[in-house]
Amino acid sequence: MLNYIWTGLIVTSLVFAGASDARDLVLDPYRNGSALPVVLDFPEGYDPDVREQSVEIRIDPEAYGRLYGTAARPQASYQGRLVQGDAGQVLRFDARASLPEPLATIATVSRSNDQELQGVLVRFGPHGPAPSDSQMTAAGAVRFEPVRFVKLSAISAAALDFAGTAAEIALGLIGVLALFLGMMKIAEAAGIIHVLVRLVRPVLRPLFPDIPANHPALGMIALNLTANVLGLGNAATPFGIRAMEELQTLNPARDTATNAMVTFLAVNTASVQLVPPVLLIALMGLQINQLIFPIIATTTVSLVVAIVASRLYQRLRAVRASDPQRADSAVGSTPPRS
Amino acid sequence: MDAVRAGITLLSAFVIPLILVGFPLYGLYKRVPVYESFVEGAKEGFAVAVRIIPYLVAILFAIAMFRASGAMDFLVAALSPVLGLIGFPVEVLPMAIVRPLTGSGSAGLVVDMVNEYGEDSLFVKMAAVMFGSTETTFYVIAVYFGAVNIKRTRHAVAAGLTADAAAALVAVWIVTLLYG
Repeated sequence: MLNYIWTGLIVTSLVFAGASDARDLVLDPYRNGSALPVVLDFPEGYDPDVREQSVEIRIDPEAYGRLYGTAARPQASYQGRLVQGDAGQVLRFDARASLPEPLATIATVSRSNDQELQGVLVRFGPHGPAPSDSQMTAAGAVRFEPVRFVKLSAISAAALDFAGTAAEIALGLIGVLALFLGMMKIAEAAGIIHVLVRLVRPVLRPLFPDIPANHPALGMIALNLTANVLGLGNAATPFGIRAMEELQTLNPARDTATNAMVTFLAVNTASVQLVPPVLLIALMGLQINQLIFPIIATTTVSLVVAIVASRLYQRLRAVRASDPQRADSAVGSTPPRS
Repeated sequence: MDAVRAGITLLSAFVIPLILVGFPLYGLYKRVPVYESFVEGAKEGFAVAVRIIPYLVAILFAIAMFRASGAMDFLVAALSPVLGLIGFPVEVLPMAIVRPLTGSGSAGLVVDMVNEYGEDSLFVKMAAVMFGSTETTFYVIAVYFGAVNIKRTRHAVAAGLTADAAAALVAVWIVTLLYG
């Protein structure tokens, strides 16, 4: 199933990005090649020999709406700089400026090394009388770099970006994993896991009938669930991984999930937690008090559904056929399970 | 309710210290070479982290592409008439879809919704309950199955998503019941 979802995600993104870019080619929402009229105020006066001078950029809202055919309107004025380059005069918008669409999208393509929206200044000339001697006002138009294939570049950028993020997340886990896996080794050597298994057996055994009664996997699962319930996500992951490793020792096939693994995973994705995640508390502030009860109720329902669903789906013929423990018994090396 | 909450908070503050101090102490009492055992186990940390990288890359890059392509918006638009029939508000649909896919994405969505609808709105409450009551299904699958090199996940995705769908429906229903 993951094969189809995974391929589906990738193919759908390509199709949608392609369609969106094709529409852009037809409708030309970025008005590639056209120049946006601007009025420039030079608070410190204009000097054609200075390489770089600060400027206040004003965009006529009506002209903006007409050019791009949009209801979005620019701010009254933007801070910027006029830079004399080899290719002529280049107008740069301040990197912190909040730009309306489609300028914001244009800024992702037509930008300087400092992430400023930039464009070539054309039709540069005086604009009415200067308000005072030291100031100067000029008119012109900015032509930005043409914007094409926004979405296709966006999906490639996202893919490369998140490949890096994925590795960072994994490597970021090393410290916590090492700490808790070390503790678990002590717990195993000292027999703590064994004690725990006996404690939780009555509760967990019915959920995981495939795990032998005295197997350490039950203890690891108990630790993982405890950490989850108390909202200790950092500790829950190492415990969960140890639980998976224990379940793997019961698995005759190296690369195929057993029924117990799927149930355990479903329980974890349903996330039984009584303490809301720290991130949510940070996001919601005091509102969280009102949400504690709904969260506990919802997570309980989703836990029950997760367990029931995993047990139901494992009876489906296609799922049963891929059960590694069943395949094992079919070979006849162990007696069939009832 | 408040007393229960205080108790749980207290408990969660004590569990990690209890493990970090209690396990080695009990180990010493049982005459386990605690330091050697710890180092032995901790060695695994690096191997496990490296082992899950390919699984995590596979999942995260596909989801990132999907989000960047704008297909998510289309999915929301396509599903909203159907869900309108069962009284599921369109405003929280993005949350229901994003939650199993990405943790950071759904946290960002909560922030967006707070800005758009205000902290006190029903939609934000529903989204927050969804956020708090389920895990990022695909991340959990990548990490846990990746750690033991399980490639054929069988019905894990289906079971996880069924639970997520149930959580989304219950979140909407219970928030409406309590605050609607």
